[in-house]
Order: sequence, then structure tokens, then C-alpha cells
Amino acid sequence: MEDKDLQKMKVCNFEDLDGPKSKEELEEMKAPFEEYCKKVFDVGNEFVKPDALKGIRWMSTTMYIFTPHSVTNLAELGAECIKVEMPRMGDPMRHTSPFNECYLYPLHDTRPMSGTGLGFVNANSNEYYITLDYHVPESKPVFYNLVKMSDGLTECYRHGTFDRWKQGYRHIMEVNPRFIYVWGGGFGYGPKIFGGSYDILGQAHAGLASVTGTHEDFGGHATKASNWCIDWYSGSQITTAILAALYWRNKTGLGTMIEFSQVQAATRCLGYTVPLYGRFGIVRQRWGNWDTQLCVHGIIMTGKSDYPDEPNPQLKYEARYVMVSAFQDADFKALCDIIKKPDLFSRYKTHKERVGAPAQIEIYKAIEDWAADKSRSEVVRILKTEGLLAAPVMNDKEVYESEHYRLRGTVRWNDDPLFGDVLIQSAYSCGLMSRTPRKHKWLWRPVGADNVKIYHELLGYPMSKIEEFYAKGII
Amino acid sequence: MCDIIWCKKEKDGKVCDTVNYLDPYCFWNWEGKIACAECGTVYYIHMIQGHMYEGPDEKAGEKPDIYPLYADKPNDGYSNYLPGIEGRTRPYTCLPRHIYLGKADMVKFSARGRPVRGWRPQPPSAGVAGSHGYFWDIEKLSPEVWAEYLERLAKGEVKDW
Repeated sequence: MEDKDLQKMKVCNFEDLDGPKSKEELEEMKAPFEEYCKKVFDVGNEFVKPDALKGIRWMSTTMYIFTPHSVTNLAELGAECIKVEMPRMGDPMRHTSPFNECYLYPLHDTRPMSGTGLGFVNANSNEYYITLDYHVPESKPVFYNLVKMSDGLTECYRHGTFDRWKQGYRHIMEVNPRFIYVWGGGFGYGPKIFGGSYDILGQAHAGLASVTGTHEDFGGHATKASNWCIDWYSGSQITTAILAALYWRNKTGLGTMIEFSQVQAATRCLGYTVPLYGRFGIVRQRWGNWDTQLCVHGIIMTGKSDYPDEPNPQLKYEARYVMVSAFQDADFKALCDIIKKPDLFSRYKTHKERVGAPAQIEIYKAIEDWAADKSRSEVVRILKTEGLLAAPVMNDKEVYESEHYRLRGTVRWNDDPLFGDVLIQSAYSCGLMSRTPRKHKWLWRPVGADNVKIYHELLGYPMSKIEEFYAKGII
Repeated sequence: MCDIIWCKKEKDGKVCDTVNYLDPYCFWNWEGKIACAECGTVYYIHMIQGHMYEGPDEKAGEKPDIYPLYADKPNDGYSNYLPGIEGRTRPYTCLPRHIYLGKADMVKFSARGRPVRGWRPQPPSAGVAGSHGYFWDIEKLSPEVWAEYLERLAKGEVKDW
């Protein structure tokens, strides 16, 4: 082969590539993997790196957590996301807060005594906030203009509402054929088409709550995860669909409609439950803090909290749970020796024997009996000293103080442009990316805070028109 | 779910017949005197974990500590008293409180001692159509908080974590 032919086949030049060019350079550049990771992820310096989704503009006509979260994922990855809210009212989620107590002010100029509740946090970070009342005919061209300038939209209105208002996918695709349209809601089309959605409904309707919590035989009940995990999870599932749709559009130039039922998404978390019923006709039961496939592999209660003198009951009484894992034979033997029950091991020598339900009941009781006069940290220390996997069930104070999370920047302080010093996990709870990390810019902004930026600076409406819209209550 | 005081006090030959709602966020653990929104009759109550431990006992001539948040008259075509009517119901303020005491606790510093913004009320800062800028200078917004911050800084009470 001639050199010029070789040159033609080359897709890059070796000299231009990153990395060592000689053996000496290789030695010099060798670093332990951990050091390498620290260097490439460079936690705390995310803002010097580019945004993966820069150039994508997304509209968020969403409410609560589930659908907004699908957009904030894009916003954290660098897309320009525009949250459209009802004038002067805003997303209903703004008006909810833990025990109706934690609000950040203001909500809007016309409502100085209302604030946005902390329930809103994490689902709408980094977005621009505009207002628009779709019910007014004059708002239609404004909406379509925004559609023309955007790559997609996520909405959560009752199924078919946007279609009835002539702003559903069938209408939008005529204005912008590259548009990616997401509807997210409770059930989607089918017998419960008009059913709304809540996280708890997803957990219940999908059967997730029926297999969460302790069995009634042990005093438990069907349990929902206290936090809205199905809202967060389903929102992220939508984001996955959006990224696939963007990739598809790159290849074909065509938009997509995504119709996303939250209760449907929740069934995915059920794991083996559905196939188990299909093959064996078994209806799965709850198994609480233990595991149906591994033993010992669960959470146990110890006798004493690690903070007996704290006034906060969550610390004073509750800091006494330990996750322990010792399912391999050697580990289980060591565990039985520690709790001074060698007979347990002689009776349940194989994993097959000890993973059965009656065996688990006996084994976990024995461990808890042993831990009854010990504190959480004592139990963890003893088990770890013997080489077993054990960890305290931490609370948010301990998550905040955790060296692991601080080192990785998972939980950090942020100087919010409007709300000052705020502690967040936000974008930084979603894994590290070496080239285009997620970023947290702001928690949220007041209702309509970016009206001028979007309507005037982006769409080119004159200020007089914006003032007119505002006076009429359209924005 | 919340407890109520259904006032049956007779005044001027008419029964008051008003339901005063004891919203759980305020009254869950609470002891004191509450006035009926309609007739002003003062009742002493003592609630523990949402249960009416003592009362309601009428306390004629005494001053109330608090008003209900909301009251209505279900036998009178559901006429009601919305939150924030002076002398009848207390305002709906959404304020964080000191735990169990029902007192407002406006946080001006974060857990590590740096100033926060966003307490109530905030001055209207918007320009056209509710627009907001991207930065509020705490020193200009609230000089007294800034001064307190500098004091804390000097005392070494401001931490990184």
C-alpha cells in the first residue's frame, strides 16, 4: 500500500490524539485509577465544561413532579428549557410544601404573601419561567411561535386536552415536523383514559405498594415509599425516551409523539413479580426489609440509637437500623459465630436452606436478639471487623455529613441567584460525566420571571405588546 | 383530618351553629384559647397528637390566643369565613414555625451560617410582566442581615459545611 492511500484511509492523526506518545510519556502519565477519576471528573469545576444538550430547546407545560422532572433532566444536561405556567398562579406544585411550612418567596409580584414550597425542588431546576394562558385565542399564535422555535414539548394535561385546544401533536407537527411531543399522565389511552395520576396511584395501581413493606403476619401493611419515587423514576424514563427520539430525529429528520403512562412505568419496578404469576400462578407477597433471593441480606433493628441525647426523635430513637449482608456460606458462618449461634449454621449450611421463609424468620430474629443490647454503630463495627458487609441506615443529617458524598460532590452548597445559600443534591445526584457533566444553576425562579427574556428577546414581541398581554392576563 | 369546635352558643336568641376547624398543622399539639369565628365565644382546648385531651371548655370574658383558620355554617347554606378575616379567622401565611409552638421562624441564615434570601415578604423586584433579574444583593436587600452575617463571620460562626 502506498503512503498516500494509507493517508486517505486514516480518520485521525495519531499525533493529535490525547494520551502518551512514547513509553516515557506513558510512565509519566500513569496514575492510579482513583487519581485519574478525580482528575477527569473534577468535581466542583463542572462549569468550565460544555453542555451536552446545548442547542436543544424544550418547552415544559407541566405540573407537579413526574413530567417536570423529565424536562429538568434535559435542563441539567444543558438544554434551554422553558417552563410555561398559568399567569399569576404557576405550577400547583409551588403551593405544596412539607407540612405546609417551607416556602421561598416571592411567587409573583401580584402575590407578595405567597411563596413556592420546597416540594417544587429538583423538578424544575435551571429552567426559564414564562406564563401563558392557553384558553385565550390571542395566546395561540404565541404558543405556535414558541413551538416553531423549539425542539419539543412535555405536557401533562388530561389526555386529549391539548388536541382539543388545537395544540396537540397532530396540530404541532404541521407547524414543526421535527417536533418531539411528550404526553405524560396517569393511564394513557385505554379504559381509564381520563384517570389522573399521582405517584401514590402509580405505586398502588402497578401493584408496587402490595409488595413493599412488611407482611401483615409481622404487623406490616402494604406500603408506599414515602418519597415520590415513581414520579422521579417515570420522569427519568421519559427523558430516556426523549433522548432516543432526538437521536432518531438526527437520523430521519422526523419528530415523534411519546405517550407515557405513569402507572405503566411503575410496573417495570416489579421485577420478577409478573412472570412469576404467569408461570406459576403465585401472587407475590411482601417480604419487608429482607430479601426473597438472598439470606442474610436485609435491614435489622438494633437496640440503641447512636444519638440517645438528641432532641430530634428521628435521631434519638430511629438511628438504630443496620443493613447487613452475609449470604455466602463462609460469611454466614462468620455471622453465626459472632452472634454466638453456631447451631444456626449447622442447620442452614447451604444458601438454599437458609433462603426459605421459615429459615429467614428464625435467622433474622436471632440476629436482632443479639443486637438488642447494642447500638447501631457497635453492630456495624463488630460485623465489619469480621469482614462482613454492614452499613448503618443513614438519615439526611448523615448523608449531609458523609465524606463519600462530599468527595463526589453529590450533596453540596450552592449560592442560588435568588434564594441565597441552598443545600442541594439536584443534578449532582445523577452520576458523573467526564466531558459534559450535569450542572445545577438555580433552584427555580418566580412565576413569569423570564417573560421578557423569552417573549421579547427570543420571539421578538415588542415590549408594548408584552405589557398589553400582561395587562390582559394572557401572560 | 382535623378536629372541630362546633359552636352551639346561644346569642340573642339564636344558636351560633358554626363549625370552627382546628387545622392539624397548627393544633396537632396545642394548648390555649381559641375564639369562635362567628360569635367570638372563647374556648379552652388542649390537644395532644391530634386528640382533644381537654376541652373545648367555654371561657367567658377571656381573650383568645388564636383564631381558627377557617369556619363555616353547614346548616346555613354553607356560608363560611375564609382565612384572613380580621377578628374571625387568622391569615393563611404559610410560615415556617418553631416546632410545636406555632411561632413563625423566618430563616435568614442557612445551616452553615451563610445568608439566605427568599423570606417573606420580598420586595417586588419585577420589571415588565413579572420579570425578575438573576441576582439579589443581600447587602442591599437586607442590610441588617448583611450586618449580622459580618458579625457571625468575625466570630468564626460561618462554616464551609
